[in-house]
Amino acid sequence: MSAASQSDSLLIGRIRDGEAEAWNELIGRFEGRLLAFVESRTRNRAAAEDVVQEAFIGLLTSLPNFDQRRPLEGYLFSIAAHKLTDHLRREGRRPALPLAPSSTHTSTSSWEPPGRGRVASSIFRSRERRQLEETALADAMREQLDYWRRRGDWQKVRCVELLFVRGWPNKEVATRLKISEQVVANHKFEFLAKLRTAVRKQNLPEDVFPELYEKQ
Amino acid sequence: MNQPLRQSDLEAYLDEAMPPEEMARIEDALRKDAELVRELAAINARRDAGLHSLGAIWRRERLSCPSRDQLGSYLLGILPDEMADYVDFHIEVVGCRYCRANLADLKNRQAEEPRAAETRRRKYFQSSAGYLRRK
Repeated sequence: MSAASQSDSLLIGRIRDGEAEAWNELIGRFEGRLLAFVESRTRNRAAAEDVVQEAFIGLLTSLPNFDQRRPLEGYLFSIAAHKLTDHLRREGRRPALPLAPSSTHTSTSSWEPPGRGRVASSIFRSRERRQLEETALADAMREQLDYWRRRGDWQKVRCVELLFVRGWPNKEVATRLKISEQVVANHKFEFLAKLRTAVRKQNLPEDVFPELYEKQ
Repeated sequence: MNQPLRQSDLEAYLDEAMPPEEMARIEDALRKDAELVRELAAINARRDAGLHSLGAIWRRERLSCPSRDQLGSYLLGILPDEMADYVDFHIEVVGCRYCRANLADLKNRQAEEPRAAETRRRKYFQSSAGYLRRK
């Protein structure tokens, strides 16, 4: 655990004990980045401050369910994103989606009650299982990225980030990074092979990770 | 010219994780194209069915985000060249919304009048402290 995570974890412990000073410290530590995140979308300071305020309340009300091993900043950003989405829907900027029965934040929405029409216990079980699968795959990706970073293979990090985070096709990635399409394909193959090995080792179901088994 | 919208863009849109200008472009497209709305709903349905996407996990777990300390060093221009080049890429090309927010905050902290921030923080505290567990 990094020093920042340890410090956040200690702060959360004090807040769970009801320490007002710790809560004040958390607000001071995180409100600026949350405000910048939200305001970049609302383009309105007052509305952004309201959304951040709701996010802080969301954190306190969900604290009993918060897993202290998770990074606090990521959790706060996900609550803020959720509150921001609600705000933008009310403003008519984000469309309501048809046939989307549950939240878009399957692993992080413990601050919201389960959707109607589904049995809460089944949602809880499936969330738990999905979280285990997600954590296993994230650990495998982190391990590979750390390995490349330690070796100074930044080109490989950039390559797989463009392929999987931005979803760029091989040709565009090759042009952007000034490498051949074959080199892009090799980096992609190496990354996916490592992940497939991790999935196999941990006996995870293959069919829930379709990208790992797509034809290259 | 604008790039065509890809499934990964729509995934990131659902998670409120794209840069604001990209989010606005997608919202504009959604207003004009019912098929795109159905595509978004289909992504949600796949998530409900328990399918994972590497990009969504990567973003949620922030697998390639520099630390806040590294972003501070980047602003001060004291990050090693190789890492600084990567941060440029992560911010400008990948467009990481969380790192952009952190950078904006670090810049604002130097520029903002301390009293303004103090007033805002007091307001957050007063509106939320009632939810703290009683000792």
